[in-house]
Amino acid sequence: MNSNQLVKEKFVCVALNDAKQLNELNGTFSDKPYVKPPTQPVLYFKTRNTWSSDDAQVSYVGDSMVVGASIALVIGKTCCRVSETDALDYVSGLTLTHDFSLPEQSYYRPDIKGKCLDGSAPIAQNPVPLSDIASLADLTVTTSVNGEEKSVLSVSQFHRSIEQLIHLISTIMTLNVGDVIAVGFPGDRIAVQVGDNVSSSMSGLQQLNNTLTGE
Amino acid sequence: MKRARILFQEEILNVTVNQAGEIQTESGQLLPENDVQWLSPVQNPGTIFALGLNYADHASELAFAPPTEPLVFIKGTNTLTGHKQDSYRPDDIEFMHYECELVAVIGKEGKNIDRKDAMDYVAGYTVCNDFAIRDYLENYYRPNLRVKSRDSLCPIGPWIIDKEDVGDISNLKIETRVNGELTQEGSTADMIFDVPFLIEYLSAIMTLQPGDMIATGTPKGLKDMQPGDVVVCSIEKVGSLETHMVSEQEFYSSRITGDNN
Repeated sequence: MNSNQLVKEKFVCVALNDAKQLNELNGTFSDKPYVKPPTQPVLYFKTRNTWSSDDAQVSYVGDSMVVGASIALVIGKTCCRVSETDALDYVSGLTLTHDFSLPEQSYYRPDIKGKCLDGSAPIAQNPVPLSDIASLADLTVTTSVNGEEKSVLSVSQFHRSIEQLIHLISTIMTLNVGDVIAVGFPGDRIAVQVGDNVSSSMSGLQQLNNTLTGE
Repeated sequence: MKRARILFQEEILNVTVNQAGEIQTESGQLLPENDVQWLSPVQNPGTIFALGLNYADHASELAFAPPTEPLVFIKGTNTLTGHKQDSYRPDDIEFMHYECELVAVIGKEGKNIDRKDAMDYVAGYTVCNDFAIRDYLENYYRPNLRVKSRDSLCPIGPWIIDKEDVGDISNLKIETRVNGELTQEGSTADMIFDVPFLIEYLSAIMTLQPGDMIATGTPKGLKDMQPGDVVVCSIEKVGSLETHMVSEQEFYSSRITGDNN
């Protein structure tokens, strides 16, 4: 769990940013305990004990685990309350992360038990410079388990754009060099088993591979 | 021993604070308090755990039943600031309040720690003020990051005091004063989940590491904060943490990056 050199301080994840998932859940958001749909990005932290790297083994915990992949933005300079227009000036590169967690039944309370497991946030350690990416909106993350494709999500399918997220998150908290934001996971997380190999690709520009081992 | 971190002549120093309250450098030099800026006392801050509704009287004050399992949330390190520093009140809100809390600072790495061994993993204690902005609460990962992970809204300090110098933490007086007026009064005796329980609980989920902090929740006694207020959070035997409230505009005037302000 000490193989990460990339994330320095904060690792922020955006939940419910798959527009299709958000739309499907929308009917439940008027009910208790939510009462109202979210008006702001739904955010959680991956704590430092979770940070890991590509090719790392991930310990299988509990009776069932799921995974989702996301593009991870790496902050390249201090970013405090920036506009959407300027937002990308503060990103040094993009990489991939896997969020291994316990299946989530509710979004009401912070999910420490499900999200803060040791080594559960591997992140590919060599970001792709932003200048190498022709169009952010066209980026697609594809995730396969043991070679079989399980999920595909494009940036164009996000509820909020990357620029909007940087603006809104940097209004709450100052982002520093080496902070990371995972900007959107597919609504349907993928169930995994001990021994599975989970492999994701960001439009062929970046890869991330992890294997699940017994505890 | 009380260990603090300060900024003195543009240099970050590790210092101790002696019984007379004097600030002493590692080489033994005494520094006048007026010449230093207090920083967060935790040198390499790790995961900041905070407890919601961990005092029964506070839970009922907010119209919640006391939890049967700890309500834990995580705070970003951007929230930390030192003793006698500024915290801000957002300009567009109705109600924000302080939360005076005892903080246990982890000193040793551990996983699956038994309750009876838990105190071996604590280095010492400090005080934090875990401000909350109630206007920003939404029922998604509540209390959400917009409420609890804002810049400067977790003052901490003034120092870390070694656990041996505090001894028993099961009945420490907690007091908050706003502009000199006593507004919050309680005791750690009324904590629902105590420090050994929380260390056992958290370390069953994840590895705890030196520099991790557990903010243990606040008792009853909320009051709105306004720019110009001075709030002092005190925990018996541990310390008194002073914070100066400023407006959002004043706080961010020198901090916003880019040219969009």
